[in-house]
Amino acid sequence: MRVVKVYVNGVAVEVPEGATVLNAIEKAGYSVPLLCYLDGLFNEATCRVCVVLVNGRVVPACRFPASDGIKVTTESDELLRYRRTNLELLLSTHRIECWSCSRKSGCELLALSKQLGVEGIPVCAECPLAGDSCLVARGEPCLGPLTVAGCSAECTRNGAPCTGCRGFITRPEVWKSAAEFYREHGVDGKKVEVAMRFFWASVPDHLKKIALGGAP
Amino acid sequence: MLQDSLRRFIYGSKGFRIRIPIASCSLAAGAGEVYQAALKAVDRLGIDAEVYRVGCTGLCFMDPWVEIAKEGLPPAIYANVKPDQVATIIERYVSGDLSGAVAVRFKQGGERIPSLDELDFWRLQVRFVSRNCGLVDPESIEDYIASGGYQGLRKALSMRRDEVIETIKRSGLRGRGGAGFPTWFKWRVAYEQESDVKYVICNGDEGDPGAFMNRLLAESDPHRVLEGLIIAGYAIGATKGFIFVRAEKPLMADRLEKAVEDARKAGFLGKGILGTNFDFDVEVYRSAGAFVCGEETALIAAIEGRSRPRQRPPYPATSGLWGKPTVINNVETLAHVATIFQVGVEEFTKLGTEKSKGTKMFCVTGSVNRTGVYEVPIGTKIKTLVFDIAGGPPEGRKVKAVQVGGPSGGCIPIELADLELDYESLQSYGAIMGSGGLVVIDDGNCMVDVAKFFTGFTLAESCGKCLPCRVGMKVLSEILEKITSGQGTLEDLDLAQELGESIAKTGLCALGGTAPNPVLSTLRYYKHEYIEHVLNKRCPAKVCPKLVNYYIDPNLCRGCTQCAKVCPVGAISGSPGKVHTVNTEVCVKCGQCFSICPFGAVKKV
Repeated sequence: MRVVKVYVNGVAVEVPEGATVLNAIEKAGYSVPLLCYLDGLFNEATCRVCVVLVNGRVVPACRFPASDGIKVTTESDELLRYRRTNLELLLSTHRIECWSCSRKSGCELLALSKQLGVEGIPVCAECPLAGDSCLVARGEPCLGPLTVAGCSAECTRNGAPCTGCRGFITRPEVWKSAAEFYREHGVDGKKVEVAMRFFWASVPDHLKKIALGGAP
Repeated sequence: MLQDSLRRFIYGSKGFRIRIPIASCSLAAGAGEVYQAALKAVDRLGIDAEVYRVGCTGLCFMDPWVEIAKEGLPPAIYANVKPDQVATIIERYVSGDLSGAVAVRFKQGGERIPSLDELDFWRLQVRFVSRNCGLVDPESIEDYIASGGYQGLRKALSMRRDEVIETIKRSGLRGRGGAGFPTWFKWRVAYEQESDVKYVICNGDEGDPGAFMNRLLAESDPHRVLEGLIIAGYAIGATKGFIFVRAEKPLMADRLEKAVEDARKAGFLGKGILGTNFDFDVEVYRSAGAFVCGEETALIAAIEGRSRPRQRPPYPATSGLWGKPTVINNVETLAHVATIFQVGVEEFTKLGTEKSKGTKMFCVTGSVNRTGVYEVPIGTKIKTLVFDIAGGPPEGRKVKAVQVGGPSGGCIPIELADLELDYESLQSYGAIMGSGGLVVIDDGNCMVDVAKFFTGFTLAESCGKCLPCRVGMKVLSEILEKITSGQGTLEDLDLAQELGESIAKTGLCALGGTAPNPVLSTLRYYKHEYIEHVLNKRCPAKVCPKLVNYYIDPNLCRGCTQCAKVCPVGAISGSPGKVHTVNTEVCVKCGQCFSICPFGAVKKV
């Protein structure tokens, strides 16, 4: 079989003809973020977070064929910006209900948002408490649904309600969805507001206006 | 000296021919009724004349037009003819009275009416591919052959395939559909593929708002397109060709189908074309009509039965329709191919610029006096096209910008009117040649609103496959909505810029990759208008409804009460004979008072 030589971040690797740029990147020991790609099942290159530079051109690594002598760059400010923009766009259409989602720590969106530094997924995505053991379900004013994930939910997994030390999510849709969740479990909105005072003195008005909790 | 063939088309076999362009555009302007009226008039007047159906000349502002030619008299052109005028016009013409004609095709004596060649909109054109438009009957293969048609095919078939490709390479012909990719290169790649089945496709999808040159060409001279397609098929060794037409353009599809049928009967299609061993057939494919189908991979998918673009490579020239090597060329490109083979490469290469040879048809619409399709050499200046040919803006208006290339193109400020229309210079100023739509925007338009319109179009036409186009365009249009309603912030401008660049770079197909162009180009040249919307909550052109306030000039108001009557929310108060006032807090800015006021007293601020 014919092989082609590809330079990934300056490292020369040989891959069989017909392989993708992604294959070459992996063979060279680098990685790129992936979302829609599933080996052998799906490579329509629709999510555009695996973009890399091939000879200076932005292309999706998962689909673009490797050809002889191409120079692949997997990291640059420009690429990071595109990946982040695309992930943000994806999150903006994602219904955030991590508290009732079964993916939890297996969530690829969570992993990617941590990797690229995109805010928008709450602590609940990392919290192992679910169903009846969830602190909100037990009536606690846990701030997990509103707090930026990334702490591995150390407090809640040890039984302490989240106090929001990592800061609040700025997307109103998440707040609305969380308010629904608090209300469902009859968590007192006043108590949630008290909990917010500790770290979140700066919550902007348009978020404050979203009434949190109260009886259903 | 008039060529014999031209004389034959103008005067016809009877020496007296009345030619009326029948195409979708002129039919909309009423040419159908004019045609019927002409038939009746000839019958009633007892004249031995042919009423002849021809294709459209591209001079839309003159539609419906009638050209009357009788041996001994100069052929006279009448514009904007109403059905009830036809009989009078013919009667007068026969008696030698040419009054009412806007032009004569050529002069015979000392007529006072200008000939076409003396008029800027005709003189500055170089009608290379559109040479037959308005002269021949598009549904007659005999007419096309008489004009030198299918001679190009004969010439091409006498060459080897690689010689045909070499000829096109020598001509320097580039794709007329948008990106300007060298035509010979696609052909060469497809030619070199080893496959027993190959396809050629004529892309006649043409979905840009403001572009209709492909429709016009295919409706007026369908055989030229078909001949180009057969030559392309021969060059790469294809066995089958498709002509992809929007289902919304039924006349275009009908005429192409008729052309295919006639060509088959005449032996230009089928087995062993013109005595060679080249077998080729063509099918006209009517698409469901989505803008994205003009993108080549989506077009292929549409013929296969799905319709979404896919990531390139592989390019269609290596793996296209049903995985076979496929060449896709635009309607105008193929018409150029046929013409190049008919008249010779030199005729083509002497036109155009160093890098882009030949001519291009441009549709000039918007704020101009002479809307139409004009064929000019590539490299013609924007100002020549907009002011000299299309006649500039209507009285009292000033041109602000031209939007080149439709929703994928960009706005070029009129200050750059000296810019030459070719692929490279347009690209360097943030626009694209596209299919050649040129919308002239005057000072009555708000550039943010223009960007919003085009963004709305691409948003609606996005197929939704890739994320940046599907969600990004939605977010972009929301930002524009926010700005035009006075809720925007300066951060929004930066966000729009950053988002636009990201969509352009990461979009999957050409639609996504060019969709943010209108926003990016207006941000580049008209940022001050955006800033005015954001900081001062004002729309300088007074277009964005939410940023416009109405007031009544007390010096002009006569108290006729019409505005108060028409106001749907009762925001206007005043009694008859007294000056009226608008309560801006109640006003919903529908603008009805503005349009009804007979004294022009209602003003926008």
